[in-house]
Amino acid sequence: MSAVLDGRAATAARRPVAPWAAGLGLAAVALAGLCLGTPFVAPQDLLSAAPDSITHVVLWELRVPRVLIGLAGGAAIGTAGLLLQESLRNPLAVPELLGVSTGAALAVSVCVVWALPVPASLYPLAGLLGAALGGLATLAAARTGRSAGGVLLIGAAVSTAIQALLLAVMATADRLQYDMLFRYLVGSLSGLMWEQTARALPWFAAAVPLVVLCVPALGLLRLGDDAAASLGSRVHLARLGVLAVATLLIGAVTGPCGPIAWVGLLAPVLARRLRPYAGVRLWLPWSAALGALVTLTADLAARLAFAPVETPLGAWTALAGVLAGAVLLRRRAAS
Amino acid sequence: MAGLFAVLAAAHLLASGRPVGAITGLLDGVVDGQAEKIVWELGVPRLLTALLTGAALGVAGFVLQATLRNPLAAPEFSGVNPGAVLGILGGLALGLFPADSAAGALLAALAGGALGGGITWLFSAGRDPAGLVVHGLLGSALLAGLTTMLLAYQPSRFGNALRWLIGSVEGRVWEHLAFASWWIAGGIAVAWACSGLLAVLAPGDDHAASLGLRPALGRAVALTVAIALTAGAASLAGAIAFVGLVAPHVARRLGGGVPAAAVTGAVALAGADTLAQLAGHLLNGTHRLGVPAGVVTALAGAAVLIRLGRSQ
Repeated sequence: MSAVLDGRAATAARRPVAPWAAGLGLAAVALAGLCLGTPFVAPQDLLSAAPDSITHVVLWELRVPRVLIGLAGGAAIGTAGLLLQESLRNPLAVPELLGVSTGAALAVSVCVVWALPVPASLYPLAGLLGAALGGLATLAAARTGRSAGGVLLIGAAVSTAIQALLLAVMATADRLQYDMLFRYLVGSLSGLMWEQTARALPWFAAAVPLVVLCVPALGLLRLGDDAAASLGSRVHLARLGVLAVATLLIGAVTGPCGPIAWVGLLAPVLARRLRPYAGVRLWLPWSAALGALVTLTADLAARLAFAPVETPLGAWTALAGVLAGAVLLRRRAAS
Repeated sequence: MAGLFAVLAAAHLLASGRPVGAITGLLDGVVDGQAEKIVWELGVPRLLTALLTGAALGVAGFVLQATLRNPLAAPEFSGVNPGAVLGILGGLALGLFPADSAAGALLAALAGGALGGGITWLFSAGRDPAGLVVHGLLGSALLAGLTTMLLAYQPSRFGNALRWLIGSVEGRVWEHLAFASWWIAGGIAVAWACSGLLAVLAPGDDHAASLGLRPALGRAVALTVAIALTAGAASLAGAIAFVGLVAPHVARRLGGGVPAAAVTGAVALAGADTLAQLAGHLLNGTHRLGVPAGVVTALAGAAVLIRLGRSQ
């Protein structure tokens, strides 16, 4: 995955330095994710661990899937954030404020708490369904809300309502389920092994060609509704398609990992900042790479900051994302 | 108005499903028999908690909307309410005060509310107060992240924390009320006394300055009152969403000021809790918490907010 991202980032280069830096950063963070922790594995010993040793098991059964899903999930969330922001032309349109990730979380929690007869392999599908419902609720409610601020507030309202339902569902849960559900709801990569990873990766693979298909539509939508329509584009259909792909990405991540908060805001913002004059075509791989970088870094922090207690990944990304949002708003206000 | 409150109180007490005889028996002023004692010790405090919390949130929202000149300003979007919840949960987790202490909860909620308001203020310092809501949303998300971090240390406490996170008026007894009611009543009285100040601030800073009021000072006073009221409400019932947003709108429609906002808020929350109790009977037994009032207000409030956002 890392190599793929590097390749895409390298083709996107205008100045050759920054893509290399992003690739190096990703590689370094992924390596740190494999090596650090208890037991510590020195980089040169990664491939030579004895097959039956604890090190080998920890490395290949716990850390490798975790790093893989962190990479794929972070990239997916970063891409989804960019798709949402570009198609709604609003830099603050993030999954958290549009009811999409809360919807996915609600669907999965309902399946778990009420023990619905859904096979575990379909949890990504349940997450997807919830994400679509949450996003649809927001879009349907916002249909006539013209201003960007109006859409955001409606999204916040829908999110809050879904959150309340979610907490109400949680109140019916067993005491034993709390621990697991809590971990899930704050977004966490802990306990993800090959089983879950193998389930989630096909969804990401399916999403990649769809994202590529979105690129021309995004270029048109950027021009504004009227200009895009005058160029012969069916604006609403195009926007709906892009939003559907974003929903697919978010649902696929939320299924196994829970809502990883605010990466969808942070990655596109950073991408625009690093490449202010590039177009959507270049921002896409950049937000994917930066989303993966942010997620992996936050996961490292979550694992190591207060070891042996593991802090939730979502809390770290929320802190980083909110600060970035505040900075963004200040700059917009200043300029 | 007295009739409205009487009907509401009767509906609220009846919705708890306790025998009618026990409720009417209280009217003679003497608590005798076990059934009457239960109503007196649990039902009546719950009703009063709902009324007080609703009034406090309604007034806090009214003050915020007037001073920030934004119809969407509300305690839950300004970082104050999430901050207060963070304060309470932090205090509980660190063992700073026992779980049933009213004064401790209030102090912690105050400290947290001031912190949350301060963060929002830092984000938006020097900006147009009308744009504060977006910053408030960001600040609220930040505080929610911090709350999550805190809970992650002891996920087993999460079940107890749910009460504060959703907002519930259940389980408060006379001791809690004895303390918080004075605080909230005082806050509402101060806000009422400040009605003139609010009226001067609402049209704009220039307008206020030309009438001889220093806008920054006036705003600081009004915001302090709002934070104090929100913290009082949070120390009783946790994060009740949307009452502070919607009640002021209704109050303004009715053409009233601070007292109207207080009455609307109180009626709204007590009504929501009545519905929550009824829903609790429908879901009989599956819910350990009962249905928290916060769920009802969040669902109803979201509908109202969507209407508001559409008209934006």
